[in-house]
This record gives sequence, structure tokens and C-alpha cells, in this order.
Amino acid sequence: MKSHRPRSLALVLLLVAAAGRGHGQAPVPRLASGKPDFNGLWQALGNAHWDLEAHEARAALQLQPGQVIPVPASPVRALGAVGAVPSGWGVVVGGEIPYTATARAQRDENRAKYLERDPEIKCYLPGVPRATYQPFPFQIVQSDKHVMMVYEYAGAVREIYLADPGPAEVDSWMGQSVGRWVADTFVVESTGFNGSAWFDRAGNFHGSSLRVVERFSPAGRDHIWYQATMTDPETFTRPWTIRMPLYRHIDPNARLGQFKCVEFVEELMYGHLRKKPIQ
Amino acid sequence: MTKSRGVAVLGAIAALAAGTGTLAAHHAFGAEFDKDAPVKLQGKIVKLEWVNPHTWIHLEVKNAKGEREVWAVEGGTPNVLLRRGLRRDCLVPGTEIIVDGYHARDHSLKRANGKDVTFTDGTKIFLGSSGTGAPYEAELNRSKEPGRC
Amino acid sequence: MPRFSMLMAAALAAAGSLAAQSGRVPRTPDGKPDLQGNWSNATLTPIERPAGRGPTLTAQEAAIAEGRTKARTDSLSRPSDPNRGAPAKGGVSLGDPRLDAASGGTGGYNVFFIDGGDRIAVVNGEARSSLITRPANGRVPPRTGQARERLAAMRTSQFGPYDNPENRPLAERCILSFGSNAGPPMLPNYFYNNNYTIVQTPGMVVILTEMVHDARMIRIGDGPRLPQGITPYMGDSWGRWVGDTLVIETSNIHPAQAVGLYGMSSKARVTERLVRTDERTILYSFTIDDPETFTEPWGGEVPFNRLDARVYEYACHEGNYALANVLSGARDEERRKATEEKKP
Repeated sequence: MKSHRPRSLALVLLLVAAAGRGHGQAPVPRLASGKPDFNGLWQALGNAHWDLEAHEARAALQLQPGQVIPVPASPVRALGAVGAVPSGWGVVVGGEIPYTATARAQRDENRAKYLERDPEIKCYLPGVPRATYQPFPFQIVQSDKHVMMVYEYAGAVREIYLADPGPAEVDSWMGQSVGRWVADTFVVESTGFNGSAWFDRAGNFHGSSLRVVERFSPAGRDHIWYQATMTDPETFTRPWTIRMPLYRHIDPNARLGQFKCVEFVEELMYGHLRKKPIQ
Repeated sequence: MTKSRGVAVLGAIAALAAGTGTLAAHHAFGAEFDKDAPVKLQGKIVKLEWVNPHTWIHLEVKNAKGEREVWAVEGGTPNVLLRRGLRRDCLVPGTEIIVDGYHARDHSLKRANGKDVTFTDGTKIFLGSSGTGAPYEAELNRSKEPGRC
Repeated sequence: MPRFSMLMAAALAAAGSLAAQSGRVPRTPDGKPDLQGNWSNATLTPIERPAGRGPTLTAQEAAIAEGRTKARTDSLSRPSDPNRGAPAKGGVSLGDPRLDAASGGTGGYNVFFIDGGDRIAVVNGEARSSLITRPANGRVPPRTGQARERLAAMRTSQFGPYDNPENRPLAERCILSFGSNAGPPMLPNYFYNNNYTIVQTPGMVVILTEMVHDARMIRIGDGPRLPQGITPYMGDSWGRWVGDTLVIETSNIHPAQAVGLYGMSSKARVTERLVRTDERTILYSFTIDDPETFTEPWGGEVPFNRLDARVYEYACHEGNYALANVLSGARDEERRKATEEKKP
């Protein structure tokens, strides 16, 4: 009787090799140092930027009491379906963001007063991790000595220091990021946040004690598994994590665009100070 | 050229009035503050906004009627201070300062430019050396007292 | 890359203009001069040559200029009279024309916030009197008749300078930094934060300008330009290595940005060259080719010096009380004037 073992072994080896290539994709490119090469244009898909937690679609970002059910608030009503919020399957590991009771009340108030409060409306810098999953591409520029992430949204930028400069000397919107390699995963620790940024368009927020640990793990050439763990004892009862894939733009014509939205919000922010305000 | 671009260019032209295009300061202080409305303020710091493009020091003073009011004083970019080795917490709330400058052009605002901001002994509130490897180092005039930079 | 090709590339580089210095220039793994890190182009040397000057200063003249700056900074740093009163009505002078222009007579703020450069630009051992070296007189060439008409037409505006946010300079609106910091061309602003971070890979070079956290993305290679009607801030750049020189070609610069550089148009072609001349210096040179605006191409050289300090976040718009103050100040002044005019 012939033994089937050699054929099974071959099959197993083939499957293992395929898994290592990330679902049959092209292999992870590497720098001269041997580290994964993340250079390129990346973007998150999905709806994390609307709301990190699982949510159903709803009529608008700001609702007001209606005759039967809440309806879009007047300032956003004219956008119709364009202004509606799509559903999302949620990216929070475990489902819910573990707010303290006080913080949850604040989050709910952020939602109720959304149009006054979301810093994205004023084209303020997005902070971390929100910058990652904004609905815009971002460029990773990575040499052996420097890593910089350049975001299309608001021209936000952050350098991820490969040598730890010590505690952040100043609070900032994008924080201070320090990165190191753990095998093939790029682990980034960020501190020094000023506490003014939000996580999404659903009022999810944090304070200035926030510490974020991100993990960028390659899954083949064109995908990164992205994970971010948030720790902020003033706002949350425990650390919590989000997880989502990042997709490489493979269109050779794709390029980082420019979304310098500051001038787009001047009418909103300063229109009342014009010599002749527009009615 | 679209209309919105045209207007944007007009704005840039206004800034060219000085003649040498690139010399236009980032904003005309003369447009924000009224050089015909000088002020002198003395009081304790209640808040320090360590932000760009300008730091703002809020201090509580007594007005002519003896009532307390808070004024906001505009300074420069904190990035320069950071490179001089200064940190935000070196200037402690409660520290008394003296400011002379000019009232905001909008007289309804309690704001002024910090033309000269000093401690009560007259020394400047922020001093330190530049980190740019200059041929010389600025003289340091730093006190080691808490609340001083 | 095969080891032989790397040796050939290194040999060619050594034979080039860098000569003996190339050994001191750090290189990236792909053999190019390493331009990475933090740099400052702050300098005392003005963009245009002052009248009556030659192209260079003697060492003595440079020392006098640098000493004058130090003396002014020191004098403005001395303790003030704690019993001083409010300043003079009608404004004050800081004794420096540039600072006076910027402060509009209000005295601005203390000099410890200023970091405009304290050294004369030295290129190839020469202390320069201007950053512009071409034309030979060190000044921007005359504008064409067409450009003068275009600029004159723009000046007759229906709006006053404080009527709308769009009538304020790009820097005051926190859209772009003062002067031509981000460029291109990347020129110092003579006030502060003249700092850059460069990150370099074989396919892309990023130049981050501290103000206003603007990152120029320079793709290495050659490819199609944006269509004429698309003009982003900082334009559209392609870079390539010519020996040890990084040559960057930029077109399609936003018209509101371009006009700030002596009336340049968005049809301009800006060429920049970056050469790392030693451990602590990149020699940066630029050329403006805009025949619609200038009667001849012009350009110059600026050393970028190593910055032994950090480049910090410059979140400008997020803290921009100043723009609101300028606009509300104009409105309040109009109201006060209108009230006074009504008085008998």
C-alpha cells in the first residue's frame, strides 16, 4: 500500500507558505535593513471615521425633535442623503468604548451638540488615531532613520521618532510619537496630546492624559493590520483597542491630494466679522 | 482663473503693499492692536495658552473702578521658547507680571499685545539661548526662583 | 543593487564637484547623499541686495552686521523699569525696520520670541550680501508689461484690506507660512521658525516646513504634470538625482501663493538644487523661470544649516485668535468712526 503522507505533507507546506504570503498576495517589501517597507499611499475603508462603535445608519450628524421621530437639524437638512450617516460594523475590540460614567455623559452631550463641538468641522487637526482612518489617503515615508506620516486631511503630519526624545515637552494636537520594531510590527507610542481632538464624528473623545499604542503589522505587500490601544484613566475605566485593515492604493496614478480645509471654513468661523456679512 | 482664486489673489496683493513681496509679516500687528490706545497692566497670571501662532497670557488686574477683570496678552510663537529650553510650566499661575502694550483695536475686548512683559523686578519673563548654534549665545538673565523661566 | 554598481556610483560621485568632500557626506543605503534631518535657513542676509552693495561682504563687514544684531537683541533683553507706564500714544519703534514694519508701531512682543537668524549667509567661503545671485545685481528683475498690467488690475479691488478673511495674507489666515518659507522656493522669513525636516527615500522626498506643518511631497522620477487649471499650494514637484545633486522641478503653484513672491504667476517653473556640502550644510539654490512675469529668469542661493533642535508642531489655525481680532478690530473701528461722524 502506498503511503499518502508525503503528499499530505507537501500540501501542508504549500498552505503554510501561502499563509505566510498573506492570502496569496505579493510578499512584503523590505528596506535594506530587513524591516518591512511601508512606503506608499494608504487608506482605511469602512466607517470608523463616522463612529468607532457599531452603529446603524441615521438621517444626519445632528438631529432635532420632529413630529414623529427626530429629523435632521436645519443647518444640515439641505444635504439630504449626502449628509446622512452610514452604518458601521464597529472597530472597537469588545464592542463598546469603556467610558467612566461622567465621561459617557460628556460623550452623549458631544453627540447632542455635535455641530458646535466636533473639531473636524472647523478643520482642526485630527489627532491620533483619528488621522489614520479619516476618509482620505495618507503617505508613509519611511527610511531607515526617519518615519513620517503625511495625511491628506488638513495637511496633518507627524514624525514618528525612532529614537525616544523623552517625555513630550509640549502638548499638541498630533502628540509625540515614538516608534520601534517588534519583529515585523511597527509599534508606535504616542503621548503629549492636548486633549482637544475627537476619535470620530460620534462625539467619542478623550483627555490630555491619553496614551496611544499603535501596531502596524504587514499582511502581504498591499495590506497592513492596524491596531490602536487607548489608555486614559481620566476618561476610560480600562484601556481599549480598535482594529482595522489599511489598504495600499495600487492605482499608479494615485497620489496624496491636498485638502487644506482652513479656507473652506472661513465663512463658518469668521463670516459674522465680514464688513458685509452674507445672509 | 475661478472667482474664488481671484479673490484669494486680491488678498495676497493687499499684503504686497509694502513693495517687497516676501517681506510681508504674517499679520499686521497694527491691524490687531491700536497704537493710539496704550495700556499698562499689572497682575497675577491666571492662565497661559501655550499655542501657535501666538501664546496668550491671561492675567487678572484691577480696573480703574477697582473691579477685577482678566486681560489676555498676546506674545509670540512658543516653538522658539521650546528651542530655548523653556517649558510651559516654568511660568506658574499666580506669578505677578507687568505688561505694557496697546489695546486691541476692538476696544470691546480686554486684549493687548505684550510689547514688554516682565516680572515685578523688571526682568523679562522668558529668556534663554537659541538652539541654532549661533556664533554667540544670548546673555542669560534667569532667576532660579519658582515661577520664573 | 549589485555591489559593483554601488562602487561605480560612489566613484562617479567622488569624481564630481564634491571632490574630496564627498567622503564626509553621509549616504543613504541607495548611495545618495543623505539630506535627512532638521535644517534651518535662517540668516541675516536679505533676499535682495541693498542698494550700493557688491555681491559679498568682507569678514569684517559680516562681523559688524552680526554684532549689530546681537547688540540689539541684548539691549532689548535687559531688565525694564518696573515702574514704567503705558507706552507712548501713537506707537513706538523697536529700532529695526523689519520689526517695526511687522509690529505696525505697537512694539509687537518681546525679542525673546524672535529667532530670525544671527549669521550672514556664507556660500563657497563668501559672505553674501543677498540671497539673489542672478541677475548679477542681486535684485529681482523688472516685471514684464503684461505682469505690471495684471498686478495693477488686481490692486484696484472693490474690497478694503480688512473687509473679509480672504483679503488678509495667507499667513494671517494660517493657510501658509510667512513669506516663502514652504515655497518653492524655500526662503527664510527673517522672524522665526525657519525650520525644516527632510525625510528621504528612493521614491519620495518629503520636506516638512515647520510653519504651517506643510509637507512638500517630492516624487523622485519623472511623470505627467498636473493640468494647467489645477494649482495646489506649494505646486506639483518632481525630483531627480543628477550626480550628488537633488534637482526639483515645480510647476502649478497656487496663484495666491505665487503672487506673494514679487508678483510671480502660477505659470512659473521653479527649479531647486540641494547639495549636501558637508556634515552640517546643504547648499540650496533656486531659479524662477516665469517669462510672463519677469523679463529674465532669476534665482539665488541659501545655506541650510543643521538644526540641533527639534521641529515642533505649529497648529496655527487651531489657535488663531489673531485673525478674528483683526477683523473685529476693523469692524469696531468702523463703528466708532461712524458714531463720531454723526456727532455735530
